[in-house]
Amino acid sequence: MDDTSRKLKVAVISPTRVGFEGTGDSIVVPAYDGLMGILYGHAPMMTLLGTGEVTVKNGSDVHRISVSGGFLQVVDNEVSVLAEEVGEPSSHGSGAGDAG
Amino acid sequence: MAKARDIGRRMNSVQSTRKITRTMEMVATSKLRRAQLQVREARPFADRLTTVVENLVTPELAELEPMLRQPDRIRRAAIILVTSNRGLCGAFNVNLIRKARALLAELQASDVETEFHVIGKKGISYFRFRNVDMAVTRTDISDSPSPDDARSLIDPLAERFVREELDAVYVVHAEFKSVMSTPPITRRLLPVYVPQERPSREPYYILDPSADVILARLLPLHLVSSTYRALVENAAAEQGARRTAMKSATDNADDFLTTLRRQFNRARQQEITSQLAEIIGGAEALKG
Repeated sequence: MDDTSRKLKVAVISPTRVGFEGTGDSIVVPAYDGLMGILYGHAPMMTLLGTGEVTVKNGSDVHRISVSGGFLQVVDNEVSVLAEEVGEPSSHGSGAGDAG
Repeated sequence: MAKARDIGRRMNSVQSTRKITRTMEMVATSKLRRAQLQVREARPFADRLTTVVENLVTPELAELEPMLRQPDRIRRAAIILVTSNRGLCGAFNVNLIRKARALLAELQASDVETEFHVIGKKGISYFRFRNVDMAVTRTDISDSPSPDDARSLIDPLAERFVREELDAVYVVHAEFKSVMSTPPITRRLLPVYVPQERPSREPYYILDPSADVILARLLPLHLVSSTYRALVENAAAEQGARRTAMKSATDNADDFLTTLRRQFNRARQQEITSQLAEIIGGAEALKG
C-alpha cells in the first residue's frame, strides 16, 4: 500500500470551534487514565479524555493541541477528539528541535 | 396639492429613517457573518456527539442512568423559549412566540403542568403583558452566546429532571437554515432520545471505560452542546432576520423617496409657474 493511503483522518473539535482537522501518521491523546497512541488500522474504540496535549504527527510535522475533558472515537481510521475545551494549536517541523 | 416645502420636510424625515435602517442593515450583516461562523463551528461537535450518544444508548442502559429516564407519562414539563433582546427584525420574535404558544397549548391540553423559561426581552415583555407566569426570565445572553450560557441554562433543569421533578424539557428557537430561511422549531432536549431496538453497534467498539461510565460523562456534555447550538443558531437567525427586515425597510424608503422627489419637483414647478403668471400679469397691468 502506498504512503498516502495509510494516514489517519484526525479532527479535534470543541463545542465552540474546530481546533484541528487534517491527516496524520500517528496521534497521541491524553485518555482518562493516561496517554494513548493510535496508529493506522486501530480497532474501533471509544474512550474518555483527560486533560493534556493531543499530538498529531504527520511526516515531519508535529501538531500539538491542548485539550481538556470530553471524548475520543476511533472508527475506520478516523479519529475524532471531541473535547470540552480546545486550545490554540501549535505546529513544529522536524527542524524545530523538538524530539517529541 | 401639498406645498413644496412640506414635501421637502417629509423627504428629510424619510431620508434620515433610511440612513438608520441602512446602518442597521450593515451592522446586522457584519454580526451575521460572525454568528454564521459560530454556527458552523458548533455543528460538527453537536452532530458527532449526537451520533455517538445514540450509538451508545440502549434501553437497558436507559434504566440505569437517571438522565436517560424515559417517563411513561409526562406530568411536568419545561419550555425554554429563545427570543431576541432587540426588535426591528421583522416577524422573527412573533414566529417564535407563536410556536411556543402552540406547544404550550398542546401540552396543557394533555394535562401537563408546564413552566416557561424565557430568554430575551422580546419574549419576556410579550408574556408579561399577557400575565403568563414565567419560571425564569433571562436577558443576559448576548449576540454571541457561550457554552457557559448554555450550561447555566440547562444544568438546573437537568438536575430537576434527574430528581424526577420534571419529565420533559423542550426548547423553542429559530433554526438557521440560511439567511433567508430561519423557521422556528421545537426540539426535545430531555428525555434524551433512545432508539427502541438495540443498535447493531457496528463496528464493535472497544469501550474503555464501560458504556455506562462514558455515557454518564457524555450526557451532560451532549445536553450543553445541544442547548449551545440552539442559542447560537438563534443568534445567527436573529441577525439574518434583522438584515432582511432592514434591507426591505431601506428599499421601501428608496421607493418612497423617488415618489416624494417627483411630487416635490412638480409642486416646486407649479409654484414657479404661478408666481411667473402673477408677475407677468402684474407687469401687463402696469403697462396699461
